[in-house]
Amino acid sequence: MTDSSENSTAQLRPGLWQTVNERYPGSMIHKEDFVPLARLRKPLSESRLSFVSTAGVQPKGSLPFDTVHPVGDYTFRHVPSASRLSDLEIHQLKYPTAGALRDLNVIFPIQRLQELAREGVVGELTANFFSFIGYNMDAERLEATLAEDIAGAVAVEGADVVLLAPA
Amino acid sequence: MQRAIERRGIPTVSVTVALDVTEHAKPPRAIFVPFMMGHHFGVPFHRELQRRIILEAFDHLVRAEQSGEIKRLPVTWARARKEGKAIEQAMSSRA
Repeated sequence: MTDSSENSTAQLRPGLWQTVNERYPGSMIHKEDFVPLARLRKPLSESRLSFVSTAGVQPKGSLPFDTVHPVGDYTFRHVPSASRLSDLEIHQLKYPTAGALRDLNVIFPIQRLQELAREGVVGELTANFFSFIGYNMDAERLEATLAEDIAGAVAVEGADVVLLAPA
Repeated sequence: MQRAIERRGIPTVSVTVALDVTEHAKPPRAIFVPFMMGHHFGVPFHRELQRRIILEAFDHLVRAEQSGEIKRLPVTWARARKEGKAIEQAMSSRA
């Protein structure tokens, strides 16, 4: 408890990008440029929000993510935004689930988002949220396939704004 | 991923616990919290903290002016855990 990092505002696990990239060269994304900012078309209170997660959260009964495939799983799942916590489960191996297994909201805050929509902080939620697993060793393939697939799916849902949580 | 969505004209914001990974990937907007991996929105049953992090992300979504801006939240993992323990103790004493 005397570890100074415990009281720090710095990253808890430093050097993550470099560590993983040394072990799996080319697996980590590096960009030189920035994409132009899209502008909000209306106030948040009138906007339809979607949520994208890499946490491997999925509806019970949907095809489990392939957590042991050597190059990763490049598919994604629709997660109905009206889901209850008891409708969902996690399939992934790459981040600590100590908190999420007791309260999924720590990584997939579906109840908080439902509350914020009911209160009118956001106009509404897309019918579906989106989930995949962060274990993908081929960054180029991820960008060419899964990233575009999810971006397309988010657009189909009519999202005005998107919150993401890359686990 | 986030860049692909933004390129379709939809504003995005992410919550990250890995500042260095985010600096490499250069998403349009992100907020950084110094929490344990897999705990981006805090600790179990701490609704107020979970909500605050989402609202801070929304605020950044509305206010950020430059692509790549990463907002750091003045929170610590030690405090989040301490508050979480107190909440769970209160829950178990009510049960």
